[in-house]
Amino acid sequence: MRVTIVQGLEQAYYNLVHMIAEFLPRLVVMVVIILVGLLAAYLLGHMLRAVLRLTKLDRVSEDAGASRVLRMADLPSMTELLSRSIFWITWLGFILIGVSVLGVAGLQEQISRLFRFLPEVFIAMLILFLGLVLANFLSRAALLASVNAGIRSPKIWSWSIRFVIWILAISMALEELGLARQTVLAAFSIVFGASMLGLAIAFGLGGQDLARRALERYLGNSTKEKYKEPQPL
Amino acid sequence: MALQEDNLWYKDAIIYQLHVRTFCDSNGDGIGDFVGLTQRLDYLQELGTNTIWLLPFYPSPLRDDGYDIADYTTVHPSYGTLDDFKAFLTAAHNRGLRVLIEMVMNHTSDQHPWFQEARSSRDNPKRDWYVWSDTDTKYQGVRIIFIDTELSNWTWDPVSKSYYWHRFFSHQPDLNFDNPEVFEAMWEIMKFWLDMGVDGFRLDAVPYLVEREGTSCENLPETHAIIKEVRKRLDQFYPGRMLLAEANQWPADVRAYFGDGDEFHTAFHFPLMPRMFMAVKLEDRKPIIEILDQTPPIPENCQWCIFLRNHDELTLEMVTDVERDYMYDEYATDKTMRINLGIRRRLAPMMENDRRRIELLNGLLMSMPGTPIVYYGDEIGMGDNIYLGDRNGVRTPMQWNGGTNAGFSFADPERLYSPLISNSVYGYQVVNVDSQRRFSHSLLSWMKALIKTRNSYRVFSRGTMEFLRPSNHRVLAYIRELGNEKILVVNNLSSSAQAVELDVQRFKGYIPIEMFGRNLFPRFGDLPYLLTLGPYQFYWFRLRRI
Amino acid sequence: MADETFLSDDLLRQLMSVGEVDLLVGILSHRSANTVRRAAHYVEKSLQQNFVRQRVAIISVDGGAVEDSGSEDHSGDGQPGNNSNSKGITSLRTIHRVTAAFNGAPSPGLALRTILSASDLLRARGCAVVSPATSSTSPEWVANLLRPAFRDSFDFVAPLYSRHKFQGLLARNLLYPMTRALFGRRIRELYSDEWAFSNRLGNFCLNEDVWHEEPVRSRPEAWMGISALTSDFRCCQVYLGEKPPPPDGAGPDLVEVLRQTVGSLFWLLETHQQAWLERKGSEPLPTFGPDHAVTAESMELNRARMFEMFQTGVKELGPILESILSPETLASIQGIATLDQHSFRFPPELWVTMLYEFAASYHHSVINRDHLVQALVPLYRGKIYSFLTEFSEASASDMEAVSENLCMEFERQKPYLTEKWKAGIEVKS
Repeated sequence: MRVTIVQGLEQAYYNLVHMIAEFLPRLVVMVVIILVGLLAAYLLGHMLRAVLRLTKLDRVSEDAGASRVLRMADLPSMTELLSRSIFWITWLGFILIGVSVLGVAGLQEQISRLFRFLPEVFIAMLILFLGLVLANFLSRAALLASVNAGIRSPKIWSWSIRFVIWILAISMALEELGLARQTVLAAFSIVFGASMLGLAIAFGLGGQDLARRALERYLGNSTKEKYKEPQPL
Repeated sequence: MALQEDNLWYKDAIIYQLHVRTFCDSNGDGIGDFVGLTQRLDYLQELGTNTIWLLPFYPSPLRDDGYDIADYTTVHPSYGTLDDFKAFLTAAHNRGLRVLIEMVMNHTSDQHPWFQEARSSRDNPKRDWYVWSDTDTKYQGVRIIFIDTELSNWTWDPVSKSYYWHRFFSHQPDLNFDNPEVFEAMWEIMKFWLDMGVDGFRLDAVPYLVEREGTSCENLPETHAIIKEVRKRLDQFYPGRMLLAEANQWPADVRAYFGDGDEFHTAFHFPLMPRMFMAVKLEDRKPIIEILDQTPPIPENCQWCIFLRNHDELTLEMVTDVERDYMYDEYATDKTMRINLGIRRRLAPMMENDRRRIELLNGLLMSMPGTPIVYYGDEIGMGDNIYLGDRNGVRTPMQWNGGTNAGFSFADPERLYSPLISNSVYGYQVVNVDSQRRFSHSLLSWMKALIKTRNSYRVFSRGTMEFLRPSNHRVLAYIRELGNEKILVVNNLSSSAQAVELDVQRFKGYIPIEMFGRNLFPRFGDLPYLLTLGPYQFYWFRLRRI
Repeated sequence: MADETFLSDDLLRQLMSVGEVDLLVGILSHRSANTVRRAAHYVEKSLQQNFVRQRVAIISVDGGAVEDSGSEDHSGDGQPGNNSNSKGITSLRTIHRVTAAFNGAPSPGLALRTILSASDLLRARGCAVVSPATSSTSPEWVANLLRPAFRDSFDFVAPLYSRHKFQGLLARNLLYPMTRALFGRRIRELYSDEWAFSNRLGNFCLNEDVWHEEPVRSRPEAWMGISALTSDFRCCQVYLGEKPPPPDGAGPDLVEVLRQTVGSLFWLLETHQQAWLERKGSEPLPTFGPDHAVTAESMELNRARMFEMFQTGVKELGPILESILSPETLASIQGIATLDQHSFRFPPELWVTMLYEFAASYHHSVINRDHLVQALVPLYRGKIYSFLTEFSEASASDMEAVSENLCMEFERQKPYLTEKWKAGIEVKS
């Protein structure tokens, strides 16, 4: 019996050593790949930075207004942003390749799924980012317009627009990621529809007089004196 | 060459205007005469003109270049005798040249026997042949024509102790056509010359024949009645003779002198003349088109007479003040050049001796509707002398050659009736008939070719005129049309090359043939016809449909 | 040289027919046949009376919605017909009328560019631009504009008007003093409907590559004027006459006006910063006629609403104003916004400081530039309310003294703007 145990232990030890002997090279390969990837990502990022500086992308971006958007979102310049993005994407790619070399069961499949999922994540992030910027922009525009038009409670309009765009952006991002599509769609429809209904009721009930006066003005029956701006020029 | 029988000959005439005194002196007294003129008739025939208009050659004190007539039925002895005139007339007719003479109906010289009689006493039978008044207040407000020399239309006669009326110089008292005797006397004079064979009269100063209180004393109905009577008698007894009106008025006012074809056969178009000069200076066709647009149609048997220059100043009466100032500033910078309301210069000096402009203006003259009149000397580009008094600067001796007295006379130069033009630009040594006859590219040769071309096509003299109005205002273009004959005339009024697109769709399919070189140009199609012209260049195209 | 490809074939053909001119007058489109026709009539009359011998042309820039803008009579020939009046001759030369047609109303910048191109191709020595919108345009106006450019060798001729003391408040309180302080030249009416320029200036502007910029598209006259002031061009002003207010409801609203004027002024500060950063003081311009005139009849205006909108603006736009103004300035504005109507005053010092901070923030693009200019609107209303309240009974000469003091305040605080402008001037890379 002792021999069996010893044999068993020897077998196990042998298997372990064998496994380690098999695993180690792959680990080394993985590390090498990751290190090579780091170098490659660094070089690529650096080269891209140089090329973009040569082509004066920052100036183009400034002219296009993109730089302002980045500054408002507290992001670095376009050149830097793209260079860093390339660095990270490249290195991440190498990391994932390195990890796949390990040959861990199921991991390769997950890694390839992750690779397939990455573009969607990127697009979703882009949608959120654009939504954020758009919400910011349009809500501010609405605020300014309603303040300058003398509309009461201008913030309501501003916030409404911001809220709607946020909801839209989040819904679109989630749909892009494929997460609970039906739920998100239904929730968005409910929220959006409810908001509109609420606004309609509020306007209809609470703004009867306003609606009446607006109609009267439109149809030209108003007798109330209009607000007259002094001539600026 | 016999004269052709054609009662409308004046429509096809090309008139050469001259004063016998200026043309050729045969007897060495320094003054041109009829014998000399007769000797030069071949030149006129060669030039291509077919009618001669003689300025007054009657006995006269010559204080208004012969328009102050002292005897209507003979010839001033300086110019020859009546027989000399008859010989000239015969010689002219033999060469196919018609002759127009002056008939000054409105006034006489104060040396005329009629006036001498009229002023002698208030009871004289001829007293009422002139217009008298005890005061100078009648006919107030009537304009003075010779504003540089006259202060009033009335002058005091110390002999008869009353005022007499004169629209021109004070030594030219106006005849009183309210007196039928005056009319009959004038008719007898006209008969005298008509019987001799003259082909017509230029009636001087016709608007002023009759005076009426409260009017401008111009263009009155009574004046027209007189003209109608003259015309009636002319047609009855002398068919085919012509009356030419000198009425310096706006076209609409001159129109009345044609009547219904029963007054004058022809009349000068005075307002057109300065506008041709204006258009070339402005480089803009507007003045020409404007005045012709305002020119009313005339009876079929009538004709306008058009001209560039004549023996008088270039009159600026029938232009606006703005136009007059412009003309003065551009053509008469030296005030010596100005007289009355006009400019006393010849064509060539006004064109700064620019051959192209001289040709352009003559081209306009020969292609526009009307009977053209060439002033003697302008066909060779004679110059002027603005320092001679009155309008004598444009009445200097004809320059025949570069020899003694320019071939005008063999008298001593000091004896000539007027000094010759002798400067280095227009002097007779440079500008004369003989030298220009030698070269085919001289102005004289060119004028001959131009007149010949014009004479070849009746459309110029009798055709209609329609302006094309291309958007390039520096180009004046028009169509002359008579029956099937169509001629397109295109003139560049500008000193720079021009492109013009002509709307000739109406003539689609026609082939334009340039008339001087007889070369074909591209056919007219659907699109506007593009032409390019050099500075002051013009084209005459005959349009053929083949 | 004019860019011939920018011009339509039809317009080029018209210009070909016109040839060289001495004077060109441009009429900007106004979408109304009657007003364009009226303006063209005055222009023609002016040219006939005052420039008899000159070669002239009128170009109307037609937005395509205008009927009968003269395109059927390019040459101005007398028409044949039954006119037997021998004195019906109206002018010595042909007056050309050229029409540049566009699909839809062209922007003022496009219209001006067309006029500049035509002026260049026609080699016009002097050019004036008039607008049919000005109901008081007369033949004398056109002549007064053209003379300095044509006869006296000035390159840019700005108009001067007689106004009511409560007209042109934006110009009086912002545009004029700011332009004067920064660019160093006292040009009163930089934003106007009528002005004139020489061939030299026209060619210079035509060759600039700025026609796609919104400020140039909407207010090209200001850009032209500033370009002239800051380069080697002779500028002057000429008094035209009374400028009546536009009819009620006509013209863009205040927000749009500020966008076009203040927005373009800020943009001009940016594009011409080399010209004004180091300049000190200001000089008058040569002026023909009275300097300007102010009438002081009483005028009824609804001021209460103005104050209300100012207060609302300060309150609601707090976060936006925070990113534009310094904390001290914002605090001051918020402070005066709490005052009641009768005691409210907008001190000139605060007004100037605030405007300069706006200008600097525009330059640094702290927020969207269009939003930045819109944020100024309620503050402007506050300033105008203060102005109207304080000076409702003031005489014309008092008004002038007030204006002059404001101008001096702008000049005095200029170093503050320069400092803020230059801070962080390089673009981060």
